[in-house]
Amino acid sequence: MAEVEAMNNPYRPHLLRIAAARDETPDVRTLTLRFVDEDDGARFPGWEPGQFGEYTVFGAGECVFALANTSNGEQGTSPVLECTYRAIGKVTAALRGLDIGHVIGFRGPYGNSFPLADWHGRDLVFLGGGIGMAALRAALLSVLEHRSDFGEVLVLNGARTVVDMVYQEEMPAWEKLEGVRVVRTVDPGGETQGWDGEVGLIPEVFERQGLSTDGRIVIACGPPIMLHFLFKSLEKLGYSPQQVITTLENKMKCGFGQCGRCNVGSFYVCRDGPVVSWEQMRALPDDF
Amino acid sequence: MQKTGWRLTKSELREWLDRLLRENRRVIAPVDRDGLRYFRPVTSADEVNLDPGKTRWSPKEFLFPRTEPLYTYDLRANGPELHDPPLPEQEQVVVGVRCCDAAGLVRLDEVFLKGKVEDPLYARRRALTTIVAFACAEVEPECFCTAVGGSPMGTEGVDLLVIPFGADWLVRPVTEKGRALAQEAWKAASREAWSLAEEQGQRVAQEIARTPVAKEWAATLEQNFDSPVWKDVAGRCLSCSICAYVCPSCSCFDVHHEGNPWGGREIRCWDACTYALFTLHASGHNPRGGSDARYRQRALHKFSYLAPGEDDVIRCVGCGRCIALCPAGIDIHDAVRRVVASSQEGDAHGRG
Repeated sequence: MAEVEAMNNPYRPHLLRIAAARDETPDVRTLTLRFVDEDDGARFPGWEPGQFGEYTVFGAGECVFALANTSNGEQGTSPVLECTYRAIGKVTAALRGLDIGHVIGFRGPYGNSFPLADWHGRDLVFLGGGIGMAALRAALLSVLEHRSDFGEVLVLNGARTVVDMVYQEEMPAWEKLEGVRVVRTVDPGGETQGWDGEVGLIPEVFERQGLSTDGRIVIACGPPIMLHFLFKSLEKLGYSPQQVITTLENKMKCGFGQCGRCNVGSFYVCRDGPVVSWEQMRALPDDF
Repeated sequence: MQKTGWRLTKSELREWLDRLLRENRRVIAPVDRDGLRYFRPVTSADEVNLDPGKTRWSPKEFLFPRTEPLYTYDLRANGPELHDPPLPEQEQVVVGVRCCDAAGLVRLDEVFLKGKVEDPLYARRRALTTIVAFACAEVEPECFCTAVGGSPMGTEGVDLLVIPFGADWLVRPVTEKGRALAQEAWKAASREAWSLAEEQGQRVAQEIARTPVAKEWAATLEQNFDSPVWKDVAGRCLSCSICAYVCPSCSCFDVHHEGNPWGGREIRCWDACTYALFTLHASGHNPRGGSDARYRQRALHKFSYLAPGEDDVIRCVGCGRCIALCPAGIDIHDAVRRVVASSQEGDAHGRG
């Protein structure tokens, strides 16, 4: 066979093996992934909290999830990647059919990241609705790893029902840290007997916390309807648009601004996002 | 206009095309198939249709194929083995490209060559391609290149420009790549011939009566994102997406997998923002759930959503194919013109 000329193929994924899998809820899973080829992993550039990747299930296609852990594998060692996904479509259903030892593809990291340096010394609130918490986890873990750089941290983890709450195993470790508080809430009707968390939608549960707005940064991710009501609530509480950061999600294919489907106006979620301030978001056309 | 170049008879033009074919190049030109005109690789100059008028499809598929593999994979016991696709190697000349279509290819360059990532397959194909454009001596009812900054004799994206001139043809080099295709034996065209050709071009351009798209429209359109006029102009869109398929500048694509338990490939294929599934989330949420919202996206992406540094580049090149072929009779130029006009009426009535 003729030798194929080497090309810098932006679509060719790295190969990663599923090293561990943890079921968060009946349809949400967290995977731990390791590079099949350690040299390939050692050359991998690392990532910033907020960035995402395209994950390949060979034969089924690609899907987009946030990188859910913080970058690691410095000094030329192969990093470990984590992602949390919900089995909801064709590719994620196929991914749910894979288990420890199976190999998937990964390309990325893509997109911008959370402006963590701007948050130094500030009190932070992480508001995650359902699987939305997955997109915040890397930023939250980074804040917890550098605990002394930041003020008080409130994590508000909301889900439809008790069984749908992600990161139940991890939350106890988060709240053990000084100055970190975790509030769990489920939608009305989603509580079970013995539930000791809150009941209510994220915006109202957040209002109930009675926090001052002074310098506080709110980092939120959830379904469009949650963000819609959350922004109304934050406006009422007196938050300025610069104090609120979210991370957007849209259907994506390429990951770098070419395939043309994730745009909101001239803003491409994959290229210019996914992290946006509420201020930036308000300037975009209402095409969410 | 630069007034150097050559004058060829029709038989000299055909001889030249045959010569290009003998030099181990792929020559792509308009040919008649089943009563329509398409760009196809040809084997003889006799097949080439030199008449006025456009092909049904633009020539973009020869740079941005309808479907192409991005990589293939074999599934082995110890995991997948990936293979890059071969990079294109053969030179190609696309002959008979209308000036609007040549400008359309420059819009594709902006996406595939000038973004965050350069697409290697497109880049290689682009480097191997020479564009020989044929200026228009006649306009078609849907044409509006002059309204979007083009011209029937425009040179944007053109390497060699061929101008019909009575029974003869004038040939003008635009780039070095184009000049390299010229033959030494060609006779220079006279100064007079160039002047007459220029007059002819102006005459043809004047036949296009569409309102020019002003630079300010980009901002006006975005400010009128919520205008009820969008529903009026695009509510009847059937989401068939023929507009995107025939468009010389539409570049959106889908990426997906085809495979079996032993292997397969990841492919890229043309897609369109006017399809209902284009932006549908797995959750069922669709940011552009209605056909009018999707058509608005298409129109704004052409006329308003301009990437940084592309301030005055309108992505529509005015070929008018989408107007001629829309089964619902939607006219993109008229649609944006009406949104802009309604905004100005609003201003005149003291509304915001």
